[in-house]
Amino acid sequence: MKCFSRYLPYIFRPPNTILSSSCHTEADIISTVEFNHTGELLATGDKGGRVVIFQREQESKNQVHRRGEYNVYSTFQSHEPEFDYLKSLEIEEKINKIRWLPQQNAAYFLLSTNDKTVKLWKVSERDKRPEGYNLKDEEGRLRDPATITTLRVPVLRPMDLMVEATPRRVFANAHTYHINSISVNSDYETYMSADDLRINLWNFEITNQSFNIVDIKPANMEELTEVITAAEFHPHHCNTFVYSSSKGTIRLCDMRASALCDRHTKFFEEPEDPSNRSFFSEIISSISDVKFSHSGRYIMTRDYLTVKVWDLNMESRPIETYQVHDYLRSKLCSLYENDCIFDKFECVWNGSDSVIMTGSYNNFFRMFDRNTKRDVTLEASRENSKPRAILKPRKVCVGGKRRKDEISVDSLDFSKKILHTAWHPSENIIAVAATNNLYIFQDKVN
Amino acid sequence: MEFKLEAHRIVSISLGKIYNSRVQRGGIKLHKNLLVSLVLRSARQVYLSDPCPGLYLAGPPGTPPQLPGELVAGPPAGWGEPPPPPAPAAWPESEPEQEHRAVLDTPRAGDLEPEATLTGARNTLQSTEAAAEEAGDSAGDSAGGLDIFPEGPRAARHYCGCLPGGGEKQGVLGAPLHGDGRCAEDKPPAPPPVCPRKRSAAGMGGCGPAGCPGSTPLKKPRWDLEEQPGRMEEEEEEMETGNVANLISIFGSSFSGLLRKSPGGGPEEAEGEGSNPEASEPGQICCDKPVLRDMNPWSTAIVAF
Repeated sequence: MKCFSRYLPYIFRPPNTILSSSCHTEADIISTVEFNHTGELLATGDKGGRVVIFQREQESKNQVHRRGEYNVYSTFQSHEPEFDYLKSLEIEEKINKIRWLPQQNAAYFLLSTNDKTVKLWKVSERDKRPEGYNLKDEEGRLRDPATITTLRVPVLRPMDLMVEATPRRVFANAHTYHINSISVNSDYETYMSADDLRINLWNFEITNQSFNIVDIKPANMEELTEVITAAEFHPHHCNTFVYSSSKGTIRLCDMRASALCDRHTKFFEEPEDPSNRSFFSEIISSISDVKFSHSGRYIMTRDYLTVKVWDLNMESRPIETYQVHDYLRSKLCSLYENDCIFDKFECVWNGSDSVIMTGSYNNFFRMFDRNTKRDVTLEASRENSKPRAILKPRKVCVGGKRRKDEISVDSLDFSKKILHTAWHPSENIIAVAATNNLYIFQDKVN
Repeated sequence: MEFKLEAHRIVSISLGKIYNSRVQRGGIKLHKNLLVSLVLRSARQVYLSDPCPGLYLAGPPGTPPQLPGELVAGPPAGWGEPPPPPAPAAWPESEPEQEHRAVLDTPRAGDLEPEATLTGARNTLQSTEAAAEEAGDSAGDSAGGLDIFPEGPRAARHYCGCLPGGGEKQGVLGAPLHGDGRCAEDKPPAPPPVCPRKRSAAGMGGCGPAGCPGSTPLKKPRWDLEEQPGRMEEEEEEMETGNVANLISIFGSSFSGLLRKSPGGGPEEAEGEGSNPEASEPGQICCDKPVLRDMNPWSTAIVAF
């Protein structure tokens, strides 16, 4: 695959942020990134509860050399901070996940969730406006019926394009613990939401009830040994889903087996390597993300130091393991102190399932080609990302002599972390969220 | 020795994280606290099993597990005795019995922290989940509030340092994986056993079970838990106080400023870990409920945390 080193960077920032990345408010930190099913739209959620949707420009014949750029399409406040008076707890408005529904009419639908509440948003365009009402004047004020002498039929007249987002459903009060995942089922009628201990199945039309399909809460909380960290539906089989745990295991469940899927159908676990044991072995084995491949044949999991690809037909161990930043293994204690060891990195497949991508520190992100076994480290930064520039592969120097372009492990900036990335469903376009900046890179086309 | 220092450091860091998690925005994160408690347990295991003469106060390995009440009257000859046979490596598969004994046989050790912290961590998680379960759980746990109360006194009894052992399979929080969360040496409510940790909070040096002034204030919240059995309104508060009392025992004398009868008393000189600005504001109350006014000044001060 030749595209690794040939990406054109386009840098986009959320519209409210005009500050440089060195001084930004916490609310602008991007917390989720997701392309829709066609790749035409790209949604980002941030810690302030806002959703910003970018739309790709239609390619024009005049500018063939310039592929469609992404411009801001819509911005709206999805979640607000709430206060649970009973528990004296504030519920953060941070958007944990966004998932698009497949498009079925002119409007776009997406699910966005914070720690407690999932919302279904409808994003639609309005480019016509009715004019000529009888009972209201042009400003909307009611007219006195006595003054109406004639009747006319209102007509639709064109207006400036307006994109409006309306909340169509609010799915609340179903989760005691913090929601970490949502996943739309392939039947397009249901979706699931997962928190630390439970997974609920919803119907899009019904907001006042949901089915609990997984419950790992022990009768005695003192016996708690693991929590659910991520969950996803199979892309084609509407009865199948997987969920990952903090112990580094993945369970595949079949909803046809029973109503409550506490007993898994398949259990994926790799035996621990005893030579790598440390105080932090359990933390670094906790899975932070799980993703089905587009084919549905494989799942990819991300733990703190590695990305693993599993074949659904083999539960005993992954078929591929990629080291993301193994040089951090000797630094786990420091990373525990500064809380970086708890960072939850995500991972993504490309459209053909041949390349996987995940983030790291120092605004680095990594790509692994599963076929050629090549990998590359790239950096998302302003300095390296002038328009039309080509991303240069980066290298971290582990020990010994540091070459000119390498960066040593101790120089890495752990406050610059790339947790969220997304890959266009069919093209080589990637979106990388670096704190409060969104970078969109495209493959250069000859 | 290095392992021990490292383990001790990790224990301190973990304690800080658990403490800070109580005040962070968005509520206590179960996943992170679970991971921190796992690290705590690992560090504690290393800490307790790493042989280090002079720091260990364990009796000879053949000593049967003693009840905390008996340890009160235990001879000071426990000081400086050789530790149990050294564990093989940094990650010993220590016998649960041995670990159990090691825990119970260190009554006056300054390093009671690891064991205390584990219980403290467990109780943080417990109260987290008890609080989280309150009323917000629409999955329909029928016991709801009633569930919480049984855990209250149980948590309090656990906080006396009885860690179950004897070969039972343990959950991460050290509880045996069976339905009854009680520890094997649990005692009936009256009189409550004097736990070694309380005395360490009050200061070193043997105090008798009866009149040790330092232990009295810490007993009070536990008695409160047991004296108000049926009041639903009290339940959430009880979990909080029981849990916070654990943290107080963990941080020892740095909390001693709160442990005076007069609510307006200033803090004593803060020492050890866990000193924080809130120690100087004993009167600060974080939740203003009518029930607080009915509680004695001790519990009020403790709830302030």
